[in-house]
Amino acid sequence: MTDVQDKIPDGTVGAATPVAQSSGGVAATLFRFQSVFGLIAVFVAAIIFSPRKNGEILFVSADNLANVVRAVSEIGIIAVGMTFVILIGGIDLSVGAVLGLAAVGSAVLMVENDWGFLPSVVLVLAIGLVFGALQGVATAMIGIQSFIVTLAGLQIARGLARIWSGGQGVAIAYGDGPKEAPTSFALLGERTFGGLVPIPVIIFAVVAIAAVVFLRVSAFSRHLYAVGGNEKAARLSGVPVVRVKIAVFAICGLLASLAGIVHAVQLNQGSPNDGIGYELDAIAAVVIGGTSLAGGRGSVAGTVAGALLLGVLNNILALNNIDSNIQLLIKGLVIVAAAALQRLRPTS
Amino acid sequence: MADLVRMAAIGKRYGGVQACHEVDFVLGAGEVHALLGENGAGKSTLMKILSGDVTEYAGSIAINGTPVRFSGPTDAQAAGIAMIHQELDLVPGLSVADNIFLGRELRTTLRTVDRRRMEREARELLDRSGVSLDPRRPVGELRVGEQQLVTIAKAISLDARVLIMDEPTSALTSSEVERLFDVIRELRSSGVGIVYISHRMEEIAKVADRATVLRNGKIVTSFDPRKLSTAEVVQAMVGRPVQTMFTTPDTDTGDELLRVENLSLKARRPRPGRRDPDGISLTVRSGEIVGLAGLLGAGRTELLETLYGVAPGGTRTGRVLLQGKPIRPRGPRQALAHGIGFVPEDRRASGLVLFHSILANTVVSSLPSYGRLGVIARRMERTASVRMADRLRLKFGRLQDEVGTLSGGNQQKVVFGRMLLTEPKLLLLDEPTRGVDVGAKAEIYRLLGELAAQGLGVLLASSELPELVGVCDRVVVLRDGRDVASFSTADSGEGDLLAAAMGQGEVFEEAFDGSGGAQ
Repeated sequence: MTDVQDKIPDGTVGAATPVAQSSGGVAATLFRFQSVFGLIAVFVAAIIFSPRKNGEILFVSADNLANVVRAVSEIGIIAVGMTFVILIGGIDLSVGAVLGLAAVGSAVLMVENDWGFLPSVVLVLAIGLVFGALQGVATAMIGIQSFIVTLAGLQIARGLARIWSGGQGVAIAYGDGPKEAPTSFALLGERTFGGLVPIPVIIFAVVAIAAVVFLRVSAFSRHLYAVGGNEKAARLSGVPVVRVKIAVFAICGLLASLAGIVHAVQLNQGSPNDGIGYELDAIAAVVIGGTSLAGGRGSVAGTVAGALLLGVLNNILALNNIDSNIQLLIKGLVIVAAAALQRLRPTS
Repeated sequence: MADLVRMAAIGKRYGGVQACHEVDFVLGAGEVHALLGENGAGKSTLMKILSGDVTEYAGSIAINGTPVRFSGPTDAQAAGIAMIHQELDLVPGLSVADNIFLGRELRTTLRTVDRRRMEREARELLDRSGVSLDPRRPVGELRVGEQQLVTIAKAISLDARVLIMDEPTSALTSSEVERLFDVIRELRSSGVGIVYISHRMEEIAKVADRATVLRNGKIVTSFDPRKLSTAEVVQAMVGRPVQTMFTTPDTDTGDELLRVENLSLKARRPRPGRRDPDGISLTVRSGEIVGLAGLLGAGRTELLETLYGVAPGGTRTGRVLLQGKPIRPRGPRQALAHGIGFVPEDRRASGLVLFHSILANTVVSSLPSYGRLGVIARRMERTASVRMADRLRLKFGRLQDEVGTLSGGNQQKVVFGRMLLTEPKLLLLDEPTRGVDVGAKAEIYRLLGELAAQGLGVLLASSELPELVGVCDRVVVLRDGRDVASFSTADSGEGDLLAAAMGQGEVFEEAFDGSGGAQ
C-alpha cells in the first residue's frame, strides 16, 4: 500500500502495478466477454450438431451463415438501441410496435401515396426518432418510469400502425407505375459482394460499429453511463440528465424504425402486426450480452454477440427440425443461464 | 478471560489495495474491544470477515476455540455473531417491529404473523435500549439517529455472543449515546463480547476495555484506552505526529466573490424536515473560507442547494450575485458554468458511481474540455485525472479501479477532484469530512487552505465546531433558515457559535447532533 502511495509523486500512477493487474484479471476478462465466449461455444456446438449433406456441414455453408446473420439483423439493430436505453437504467417496450409502424409507413407511403424512396425513408425514420424522443420527454421531464411510458408507447404505436394501414397488411410491389414502390427500395433486400452478403446485414453492421465507436469515444457516452450508474450523482456533477435520456430514447426509436424499413423490404409488405414480441428478443440479446438491467454497465459489442448467439441457436434448432415449441424452451434456458453467469461476475 | 473470538493471520485484498494483512485479533467474553484506524485502515474489512459478509480471505477464525469458516452472514449469525452496519440495513416501508423481527417473524398458533406480540417485544427491546419509540411507526419516518437505535435493538434481539458495532453513534445525540453505553455495559456484564469501531476517542475511553489500532491493513498497537492520550492514539493511527490538524490559511482575502442578499425560497411542495432559506444574507470574498454553522435542520444544506440550483422548485426571492453579477442557476450545469462547484453531503448516494472507474468519476464534470466535437481525447482526460490524483494525494491502485474500492476519505477526494477540474471560483461544501478519517481530514483541510491561497472562495457547511473554527476565516450561523450571527474565527470560539446556533432556551445536547469533532 505504501508503495502505491509513493508512486503518486513520480507521476507514474498511470503505469499499472503488475500485482493489481493479475488479481482477478483473467476472470474479469472472461466475464467481460462472456457473450463472445458464449457465442463461440454455441457456434462450435452448431457445427457439431449440424446436419450434413454429402459430407458438407450445412450450418457453415456460406448460404446458411448469410441467412443466420440476415435473420438476426432486425433484432440486432433494435437491440443496439435497446442497449443504450438499458445502459441509462431504462427499458423500451415500444420497439416492436415502432418497427410495425415503420414497416406500415414505408409500404403505405411508397405504394399508396406514391412517394419516392428517399422521402419515404426519411419520414419513416423521423417518425421513429420523434416517437422515441417523446417517450424520452415523458420519462425524463415528467418522471414516469420508462417501463410505463413505453408500455403506453407500444399501444400507441401499434394503434397508429393499424389506423395508417387500415388494419390490413400492405403488400409492396415494385415498379414505376402507380401503386408500386420504387425499385431502388427493393435493393435494400438484395445481396452484395458477389451475392453473398445481404444488405440488411450491412446495415446492421454499420449500426453496430457506429454504436461501438460512439460509446467508446464520445463525451456523450460518458454521460450516458453516468446517468445509468447513479442518476443523482450524474445530475449534481453537471451531466445534462434530461437531454441524455431524451437523446437515448430518440436513438432507440430511430433504430427501431430503421429495423422496420429493413423488415418491410425483406417481407415485401408492411403489416400493422409486424414486430410483435421483438422487444423481448431485443432485451434478451442485451441481457445475454452482459448489460446490466440496473444500468451503467454493459456494451454494444456484447449485445451484438448476444443477438448472434440467439440467431445461431434459432438456426441450428431449425436445421435439425426441432419442434418450435421446444425451441422456445431452449431459448428461455439460455437467457436464464446468461443472467445467472452475470451474477457470478466479481464485483466490489 | 476466555478467547471468544480468535482471528489469526487474516488477509484480504481488494484490487490493488491490501485491506488486511496478517491481522491477529482476539476478543474475550465480556470484553468491549475498540477498533481504531483511519478509513481504509481495514477495520470494516476485518469485521466483515468476522460477520460473514466477506467470505474469501486468508487466515483462520476460531469461536470459543472451534475453527469456523462462515459461508455468509446467516451462517455467522447462527454462530452468535451480529453486526450493526454503518449503512443502516433497514426496510423503510416496514414498521420498527417488523424490521426488528425481519426474517424471523413471531407466529401465532395458526402460523400467521403475531403482530401484537412482535410489537410488545419490540417495545421491551427498545425500552431496554432506553428509547421511547412507537414500534408501529414506519422506519422511513424516523431520524437517522432513531434508525440507528432500531438497528442496535435488532442486533440485541438476536442474543448474539459477539456484537460488532461499526460507528454506532455517528447520528446519535449525546443523551442517546449515554443510553447506548448503559446497554453496552449491561451486555458486557452478561458475557457478550463487543467490537466497537469508532473515530471518537472520548467514547472509546469511556466504554472500551481494550483498543487496537489498525493502519494500512496491519495492527499497529493495542493498548488500554484509559491510559493513552488522544494525541498518542492519533499518532498511532496516522503514523506520524499530528501537530496541527488545521492549517488556518492566513491568506489575504480579495474582492467580494459571492453576495447573497435576503435570499428566500418558498417551495411549491414543502417537504417535512426541509428548512428552505428564509431571508439569508452573506458574502464570501475570494480567498476566503466561510463556514456555515447551525443545528440539524437549520437550513445549511438547503442554502447550498439553492445556490447550486438543485433546490426543489418554488418561488425564490432576494438576490445572489457572483462577482457583482446577479445569477440564478437553474441547475448544476448552469452553476458550474458560472464557476460554482458543489461537493454534496452523501458521497455514496449523490457523489459517485461506485462501480465506475476512478477515472470516469473524476472527469465526468469536465468532459467537454478533453477533446473536440464531443469526441474525448483519452490522453488528455488521463493526464488531467493523474494530475488531480497527484494534487489530492489520492491513495489508489489504478485509475481503472472501481471508485468503490477506495476508502471513504479517498472517495471524497475523487468528488473534490471532479469539481476542481471544472476550475471553479466558488466551492460549496456540505459536510466534506463526514465519515472521513483523521489523515484524510487533515489533507482536505490542507487542500482548502491551498485553494483559498489561489483565490478560490469556499462556503463550508459543517456540524463539527472545531472544524469550523479551525478552518474558516469567518463563520455564519444559521437558525431556522435565517442567518443569525457572523463571527470572525480570530476572536470567537466554539462556544460562541453554539450559543448563536441554539438561540435561547434550547437543550445543549441536541445541538450539533452529538458529533464529536476532529481531534
